[in-house]
Amino acid sequence: MNQEKPMTESSSAPAAATSRRRFIDWLMSRTLTTWLLSTSLGGLVLAIVYPTSRYLVPPAAAESTSASVTLPFAPDDIQPNSAEIFRFGSKPGILIRTAAGEFRAFSAACTHLACIVQYRGDIGHIWCACHNGHFDLNGRNIQGPPPAPLETYTVNVRDDQIVVSRGA
Amino acid sequence: MSRSAIGAIAAFCLLAPFVFPSAVTAQTQEVEEDNCRACHLVLGDERLSDPARAFPDDIHATRGFGCVACHGGDATDPGIAAMDPAKGFLAKPERGDVAEFCGRCHSDAEFMRRYNPSLRVDQVAEYASSVHGRRVMELGDAKAATCVSCHPAHSIRPPSDPLSSVNPLNVPATCATCHGDAEYMEPYRIATDQLERYQLSVHWEAMSVGGDLSAPTCNDCHGNHGAAPPGIAWVGNVCGQCHSVMADLFAESRHARTFAMLGMPGCATCHNNHDITRPSDELLGLEDGAVCARCHSAGDPGGQVASAMRSLIDSLSMAYHEADSILERAENAGMEVSQALFELNGANTALVSARAAIHAFNVIAVKNNVEEGLEIAATAHELGRQAADRVQFRRIGLAVSVMIIVALILGLLLKIREIEHREPQT
Repeated sequence: MNQEKPMTESSSAPAAATSRRRFIDWLMSRTLTTWLLSTSLGGLVLAIVYPTSRYLVPPAAAESTSASVTLPFAPDDIQPNSAEIFRFGSKPGILIRTAAGEFRAFSAACTHLACIVQYRGDIGHIWCACHNGHFDLNGRNIQGPPPAPLETYTVNVRDDQIVVSRGA
Repeated sequence: MSRSAIGAIAAFCLLAPFVFPSAVTAQTQEVEEDNCRACHLVLGDERLSDPARAFPDDIHATRGFGCVACHGGDATDPGIAAMDPAKGFLAKPERGDVAEFCGRCHSDAEFMRRYNPSLRVDQVAEYASSVHGRRVMELGDAKAATCVSCHPAHSIRPPSDPLSSVNPLNVPATCATCHGDAEYMEPYRIATDQLERYQLSVHWEAMSVGGDLSAPTCNDCHGNHGAAPPGIAWVGNVCGQCHSVMADLFAESRHARTFAMLGMPGCATCHNNHDITRPSDELLGLEDGAVCARCHSAGDPGGQVASAMRSLIDSLSMAYHEADSILERAENAGMEVSQALFELNGANTALVSARAAIHAFNVIAVKNNVEEGLEIAATAHELGRQAADRVQFRRIGLAVSVMIIVALILGLLLKIREIEHREPQT
């Protein structure tokens, strides 16, 4: 520590330097440093533990899907000549079990104005009620305003699970 | 054709092998025993040589038919005797005879089945019922269309061929050859701006930009061989081929009866005929640009129904777009909102259904769809709001973490300096 000069001198510069020094001394006192370190270390631990614990708890929202989705129902839940709408990411899909028992899946967004289509067992068509658009069981637009076929998905049945995926 | 002209052609045909030996030899080698083409190709008159030049790409040629299939005569005879009427030679048919000329084969179901079983064989009968056919066959009109006006003789291609004059993408231009020519159409006193207006339509956009060849072009509404303007009981029968929901709702509404009474065309009254643009909500109601306002005002019940339907549609449209917007922002911020976006598809379905339901001109029908959609949109909006709140919470958490880390670094630096200052004393 430097020895303090007498305050009787008229110059104010040495007085300012002295006050700065005192402030630095205070900052470097053990009490403040220890408080700062312990508090911030505690905060850091919390900043690591909280997100980690939140990560370990499953979120309320379901899994996001882009390439494939496991459907929330079993093959036996769908009777022949009927269909179920399912969620494929943020888009609707339709799983159809044909009268012959075969599973087929398509995008359920009509290619006209994106209404959700449904299955008509009486005529064996995929049908859009909004503007009476019809698609056959290969997804082809066969009647009404839809300008293009429905996107076709691949269906794989593994035991009691149905997995629907994009592309071949 | 005068005798002197026939004589000159005959002399030319006989002398051609000597004057143009290489050309004729090449052609005769290429098309065996087709003396018609061999001779016509080297004739100086384009009217006679062009058909021979174009014919190899004609669908009839590709199916094995030669000139004599239509024109008769004897293709194996290299001389003028090939065109002897005694050998069944038929020259270019008169305008009024063209349909029957083509119909010799095209009206014969048994014959046509051998080449194209799915092709209809009633074209001539349909043509006779059309405005074109009646003008040509009954009035002797020298300008109205015959078969070859749309299917150019000697270069006929099937509709599936992109180069065909009757390919869906080319039909508007084919019809406009006459119907877009103000001078040609002057005697008929009808508009000639149909092509320009059609090219503004959503149908042409779907076809030319969207590549949807099933989108309607001229013949889908007017008929092709039986073309009439359009000559049907009600225009909804045409539009309803594709837009059946709206046509059915309209047919049951009081507007159908009123329009019929006033002699107003159904669908075309509000949507126009050739320039049918993409409909928007602005068509509905009593504000600027609304078609209802052409007949209705705020004081009459029809105007009040129009305004009520517009308010309902606007409320759902706004709720849907707000929910979609907040969910999109949350998704872009990295939040998982696919379930909410999935649910929101139901609101879109309700909105599209409500827009279709206005053709019943019944507020209740629209209201049912709108209320269903509003409920879905509200749920999705709430999920979006919760996701946005979570984004904000994470941002604040990040800021706090950064502050803690900065404080820790500062504390460590101060601790280091303190230790350094203490060492000399110890």
